[in-house]
Amino acid sequence: MSATKRVQQWSTFSRMWYLYDAQWQDPFHSAKVLSPYLTGQNKPIYHPLNDCGDHVVVINSQEIALRGDEWKKRVYFHHTGYPRGASWTLAWELHQKDPKMIMRKAVFKAITSNLVRRTCIERLHIYPGSEIPEEIKSNLSGQIRPVMPVPKRLQEYSKEEIENYPKVFDFPNDYILR
Amino acid sequence: MLITRVLFNRAPKADNFWKRRRVFKLTAHYRGRKRNCYSIAIKYLHRALVYVKKGRKLKKKDAIELWQQRISAGCRELGSSYEALVRGMARCQIALDKKTLANLAIWEPRTFKSLTQIAAAKLRQEPIKGLNDISPPPAGVITRGML
Repeated sequence: MSATKRVQQWSTFSRMWYLYDAQWQDPFHSAKVLSPYLTGQNKPIYHPLNDCGDHVVVINSQEIALRGDEWKKRVYFHHTGYPRGASWTLAWELHQKDPKMIMRKAVFKAITSNLVRRTCIERLHIYPGSEIPEEIKSNLSGQIRPVMPVPKRLQEYSKEEIENYPKVFDFPNDYILR
Repeated sequence: MLITRVLFNRAPKADNFWKRRRVFKLTAHYRGRKRNCYSIAIKYLHRALVYVKKGRKLKKKDAIELWQQRISAGCRELGSSYEALVRGMARCQIALDKKTLANLAIWEPRTFKSLTQIAAAKLRQEPIKGLNDISPPPAGVITRGML
């Protein structure tokens, strides 16, 4: 390699577009994974004053999974600024109103509070379903691994796979199966 | 007039002017009475000098934090981790500091990659609990038991 090309780094400052599938993922756990991508902390050239964050496209935000009874117990607070303007919304209510909101708020909270926080969150694109506009789809250049394994439903297994599944024992012939 | 002893004592010291001048030089860029009124200027100057002293330590701390962030970002790109790199290198007796490693991660990515692989190979030989799972498979590291 020639001496002039040794340190040639063409796309050091280019922005990547990552895809993240939120199907059955914990939004708060995934927010911790996504926030370094938005702020640029996933790159060795990171500096707090260096605007080098990447774009993250989150799909299937409608299908996120909250732990335990968090849908009923997690409360989002909002105040209009006027007297008696406070309101408390449960997570499941908020998710019904806007399926992007919980994901967005989780990521916003995961990014350190500073002046560029709102610029970073602008690079997060959330879609409730699996459909993405064509102009954003054409930019995609990478994928972020989901934080939790997505289990397969019994209905999704083919009949062959179910039959070939290793058995511990066979039911006796006179055993009554409903 | 300094005709009597009493008046002589009462008159401002000649050195006072130079003492104040030293302070006003340092507060020249302040706004309002902090700049020209000595009794106020000296208060704010003392506070500022305290900040300067604290800042000398913070500056070093911030630099170390930044290097750590950069190194761990470089490691994560390669599927390794900061812990694995640092502890593997320590066991190989490679004494590179954080500043050098951060610079290598930016400017010499291939050197940095080989360092992470050497560290990973060392950890594979002498495992540390919890670190071996995330270290990358060492490709192209020929050890011959030398590490």
